[in-house]
Amino acid sequence: MTVEVSSLKELVEQASGDDRSPDTQEYFVNMGPQHPSTHGVLRLVLKLDGERVLRCIPVLGYIHRSIEKISEHMNYMNCVHLTDRMDYLSSIMNNWAVSKAVEEAAGIEVNSRIQYIRTIFAELERIQSHQLWWGVLGMDLGAFTPFLYGIRDREVLNDVMEETVGARLTMNYVLPGGLMADIHPNFVHRVKEFIKYFRPKLDEYDDLLTNNVIIQERLRNVGILSPQTAVQYGATGPVLRGSGVAFDLRKDHPYGVYDQADFEVPVGTIGDSWDRYWVRVEEMRQSLNIVEQLLDNIPPGDFLVKKLNSKIKIPEGRYYSQLETARGVLGVFIASDKKDEPYRLHYRSPNFNNLWCLEPMIKGDYIASLIGAMSSLDLVIPDIDR
Amino acid sequence: MEREALQAAVCELDAAVSPLDANADRAAVVVEASALPAIVRRLRDEPQFAFAQLLDHVAVDWIDRGQFELIYQLYSFKHKHFLSVSVFVPRDDPRVPTLCRVHPVAEWQEREVYDLFGVLYDDHPDLRRLFLEDDWVGFPLRKDYQDDFMLDRPR
Amino acid sequence: MGIVTDKLPGALEKVPGGNVLVTRFDEIINWARASSLWPLTFGTSCCAIEMLMATGGPRHDLARFGAEVARPSPRQADLLILAGTIVKRMAPRLRTLYEQMAEPRYVIATGACTISGGPFIYHSYTTVRGADEIIPVDVYVPGCPPRPEQLFHGLLTLQKMIKEGETIREPGVRRKPVISALPEGITLEDIQGEMKELLVKENVVDVQHAVDKLKWPSGLNEQSSGKSGANESGAGDGT
Ligand code: SF4
Repeated sequence: MTVEVSSLKELVEQASGDDRSPDTQEYFVNMGPQHPSTHGVLRLVLKLDGERVLRCIPVLGYIHRSIEKISEHMNYMNCVHLTDRMDYLSSIMNNWAVSKAVEEAAGIEVNSRIQYIRTIFAELERIQSHQLWWGVLGMDLGAFTPFLYGIRDREVLNDVMEETVGARLTMNYVLPGGLMADIHPNFVHRVKEFIKYFRPKLDEYDDLLTNNVIIQERLRNVGILSPQTAVQYGATGPVLRGSGVAFDLRKDHPYGVYDQADFEVPVGTIGDSWDRYWVRVEEMRQSLNIVEQLLDNIPPGDFLVKKLNSKIKIPEGRYYSQLETARGVLGVFIASDKKDEPYRLHYRSPNFNNLWCLEPMIKGDYIASLIGAMSSLDLVIPDIDR
Repeated sequence: MEREALQAAVCELDAAVSPLDANADRAAVVVEASALPAIVRRLRDEPQFAFAQLLDHVAVDWIDRGQFELIYQLYSFKHKHFLSVSVFVPRDDPRVPTLCRVHPVAEWQEREVYDLFGVLYDDHPDLRRLFLEDDWVGFPLRKDYQDDFMLDRPR
Repeated sequence: MGIVTDKLPGALEKVPGGNVLVTRFDEIINWARASSLWPLTFGTSCCAIEMLMATGGPRHDLARFGAEVARPSPRQADLLILAGTIVKRMAPRLRTLYEQMAEPRYVIATGACTISGGPFIYHSYTTVRGADEIIPVDVYVPGCPPRPEQLFHGLLTLQKMIKEGETIREPGVRRKPVISALPEGITLEDIQGEMKELLVKENVVDVQHAVDKLKWPSGLNEQSSGKSGANESGAGDGT
């Protein structure tokens, strides 16, 4: 039994000393933390041989904000507000994950109106997140136009949600025991308009990017992730589904009112970047279907079953709850010692686990493929670091 | 498998496994530290369990009891069931064998726990800090962590 | 000539009886600096989506203010839009980036995090409490995250500062940092109105008004009456 603690410096030094072949030399390149295509502050230490990637070592911590430590000093109502700063592109789903964990642990029952509204908002936000991803993927591969199209449609949806939620990005809409506010009277009408607007736009997306030869060349057969590797490396969400494993918590362990909606879970075939791309575009269509089915059936009722500012106490024990965000399974672990503050709060962030698929995906491939493959993972760095 | 049945079945695997009831919502067991890799490997390979994915790895600092609790969340795509495996290690000598060879993702999840709690993983191939710099002193998520930089919220 | 006088804001003086316009060098340079800021894309977290992506998009369109050429490299940028939390590990990198930028460089700090640490101020062992602990900041834009309109307000504030700011004689002298916050009771319509007004004013210059407003440097005005003013300020020598 041995324990050895090493450091990044040692790792780089020890690797650069050995095996020099006469023609090419291996060398290290730092990518990030300030790099336009890492979507934030991810740093990758790349070991290259010419243009081939031999190793790819992610270095984290450039946005580690110690959310888990801060949460230990907050009550459960406050903890929710830190979660939408983690994965800000699925903030409502993050709020919901914590609320769900707290509700399950404290035994709070919410009525079906709340569940309907939460589900609809989660799906709208999934669309929103994928719209941004779609635009940014184009930008990463060198095409600026998709970015403009993606943001254009994102703003339309943003307006609809903002009317109810009151915020554009960090929404804080879902609380333990209900919602922050009831839906706006215009909401149903405007979502319907949006669906009518966005369906044809998805076909436009296909014309613009999906059927584009350059995009296909750069994504097909690049960054292949076999289902075994994906499972072993902890991938979830579209990354896992792109590799052909049809695992979706919405289907397999339904929460909210997903069991009342009829939808399909798109899965890829070989697990290359293209499959992950296709899965996400298809998910937007499915989300539209879900919203359309649920929209007319929102039952009447209260939007909050628990008084705001009331202290929630959770019985002693450990609780684990998870749901599917736009990027994968977000797990919330609560260890409680009967106080109104969590003894320990841990988030299983989907990006953290998806990130490690990067190295097996692009090992031996060109450095240009790395950009496309990384973009197809759709990483949100503050969620990795927390 | 139902929660109770699963818990009972897992406990029959080995003498080092015993049930844990503090967990409210899913089957949970306690495993002795030395037997951990072998048992997780069997849980992964035996078809009636088929726990293919290590979803999550959490550490909890139970400072009153002088123990760290290390929790591994397992999931089976085949049977669609969850299991949480706990290991208790003493706070003053936190050592546990690594699970890297069974579930590769454990390499980074364990690095995170090492970084924030200082739990040492035997035979880990690359035990480095993950979020903090290599020269950081102390392990911040321990309950007794002190730092001049941290501010307390005024009450 | 008409185009020049229409487009050039600030101080212009017609010399009587000739096709010559007179202005101050500082005005021209500051006008040029303020109207073509090249921002560095420095987004660490949530704010980046609003500050760099939404503003770059078609709805809000940063290009209207001449600041859309977002550069990933600090060497080609002169405006650092800080969007997102800064933690201890990132702080040295931020400093390096700032120092690599070409002079004169300006910093807009957006979001509660870059002002004070925001939601992560208490009990956090990594979050730096405010960007001004690391680099000097010119304009603060509060919010969590600020709306894109707020960034524009901050950008206009910065442009105003630049225009009134440095002169060739006193390079590097800046005004104090300002917060581009909305005071109580001001709505979005007001800002939009103000922006519109400002844009109209910037583009169509009332030359006569500008000339009336113009104040010559003290030395020139007082040449006939006496030379005391010029000597006191030490500005008249050799220029
Ligand atoms: S100010 Fe708010 S939105 Fe901006 S980076 Fe900080 S937490 Fe995120």
